[in-house]
Amino acid sequence: MALVLGDNPALKKPLPPQPSPLPPMQLVFEVQQFLYREARLLDEERYQEWLGLMTGDIHYWMPGIQARYRKDKTPRLDPKRMALFDDDMLNMRRRVTRFLDATAWAEDPPTRSCHTISNVEVELTPRDDEFKVYSTFINCRGRGETEEYWLTGRRTDLLRRAGDGTLRLASREIVMTQSVLLAKNLNVFL
Amino acid sequence: MKRAAAKLQMQPETAAGTVTAKALRELVDLEAGRIDRRIFWDHGIYRMELERIFARCWLFVAHESQVAAPGDFITTYMGEDGVIVARGTDGKVNVFLNSCTHRGNKICHAEAGNKKRFTCNYHGWCFDTAGALVGLPAEELYQKTCPGFDKDELGLHRARVESYKGLVFATFDETSPGLDEYLGDYRWYLDVLLDNDEGGTEFCEGSIKSRMACNWKFPAENFAGDSYHAAWTHNSGAVAMLGQGVGKSNQEKSYQMNVNGHAWQFGLDMVGNAMTLGEQDIVDYLRERESKVAARLGKIRSRMVGAISSATLFPHMSFLAGHSTFRTWHPKGTAEIELHTWVLVNKSAPDALKDKYRNGVMRTFSPSGTLEMDDGDNWENASASNQGVVTRRQKLHYALGMDSRIEHEELKGVLHLRKYNDSNQRAFYQRWLDLMCKE
Repeated sequence: MALVLGDNPALKKPLPPQPSPLPPMQLVFEVQQFLYREARLLDEERYQEWLGLMTGDIHYWMPGIQARYRKDKTPRLDPKRMALFDDDMLNMRRRVTRFLDATAWAEDPPTRSCHTISNVEVELTPRDDEFKVYSTFINCRGRGETEEYWLTGRRTDLLRRAGDGTLRLASREIVMTQSVLLAKNLNVFL
Repeated sequence: MKRAAAKLQMQPETAAGTVTAKALRELVDLEAGRIDRRIFWDHGIYRMELERIFARCWLFVAHESQVAAPGDFITTYMGEDGVIVARGTDGKVNVFLNSCTHRGNKICHAEAGNKKRFTCNYHGWCFDTAGALVGLPAEELYQKTCPGFDKDELGLHRARVESYKGLVFATFDETSPGLDEYLGDYRWYLDVLLDNDEGGTEFCEGSIKSRMACNWKFPAENFAGDSYHAAWTHNSGAVAMLGQGVGKSNQEKSYQMNVNGHAWQFGLDMVGNAMTLGEQDIVDYLRERESKVAARLGKIRSRMVGAISSATLFPHMSFLAGHSTFRTWHPKGTAEIELHTWVLVNKSAPDALKDKYRNGVMRTFSPSGTLEMDDGDNWENASASNQGVVTRRQKLHYALGMDSRIEHEELKGVLHLRKYNDSNQRAFYQRWLDLMCKE
């Protein structure tokens, strides 16, 4: 029997959009401004001010990415696997201490970093003072004469409103697209 | 996007195999402690390294814990040859080329997992965990139309496999002596890591992989014995992790040891390297275990367990013995490597402590690590500068500690006093030279 081309039972169907409550525009604006400012502090190497945007119980996590088959039952991102960052505040302070040390030779002349933050989505949570925030980043680092490293990925943040009314970063998960990091180091926060 | 690394690939200067033994010996003058930079940039020499070193030596491919159960596999490299390391249904670890015998397509595209069969995406040829061809589409046509068709001859090319206390090694040389002879007395030192606890060791899950635009020998020789760089290169990392720079060490109580080109530089300070992990619990764990380890390995080796040290198992596996970072430097051209890193822990250690080891190692010795970040910059620039035709004619200096050989009643191998010493690096290049001169 000749095949009739066109719609067939194997073809996937479009799904209707799932309605979700819109976060207040003022909040989205505030979150965006928070993320943009945070990115600029990093680009300007204002690391201590950057740390000041975090809660004391910050968890900053950037898991290593493994290429595994879809059938693989293990989680794609597993807290038990090795990670490029898996830090609390003490360890973030250690990293910042190295960056700001005069003998951090790989930072002198300074690495030139530009973070572009986009695709910001804000989700309300059961807690009034916490917001789940999705964003994407493109980071370009220039170093020395012609060295250039690009890294892109997705972030899932938890922002918490502090007692003084300002937003703070309480946790960040960073998922990059590279499984083999195409750079000699990762001398940048994302 | 074009990577900076690609630009560093030097133009071929010689065809493979055309550098004579006499010429090589002139390039690597170990009596004078001078090494010609050509060994770091010449494409012909690089091709010879792949043939005479990486296709001949016993190469570390996996820790047994990475392939603990039947069907567990990882993919890695031996030289530039992609290989699959898989635990067979019979419990044996197999290592074979990751390239189909039909049209050469890569067979396994995942870096780790569990599989009973590896099936090629191209035409569906299917291989088992020992690399044997077990099935192919339209097999009956092959049986009918290919004279003498024999599936047994079409398995994936296998390497010889042996292991030492959890570390799995493989070689493509079918005639070389076994792993025990390859390692020799280096095993006595490896036991500091691999056998300080009756439960043995394992790798933490996962690994971090990255690329560096450097010749593979720069990091390998660095870990072999370059204690000298630590205080200078890593001052900023030490300030971050310890609150102060790398302290002045008593050179007269530190050593460099080599055997068969494998090298280890160390002090007997017991916890110096481990302290850089920044976790008090790890230091406490080591101190608590000192007498137990001494009963097992003797006093002198119990002082090495967390000590300031670094080591390279020839040609390309390196570790900081006191720090638990493990890595291989896979060659990808004259000025490119792929770095794979892991964390080694005692299997019997509490889970919470293993987590601290994993995080501590990653925080210091991974691409984002406070200590490693400054290394990559040095090695890339040491490689890139050889693009200059005048620069590349200048020889490099490897003559520190020429007369430092000592004998020791307990410490095995070829021993040199003082860890500020090029003796291990000279031993690394002596082994390199011996292998490269052997046709």
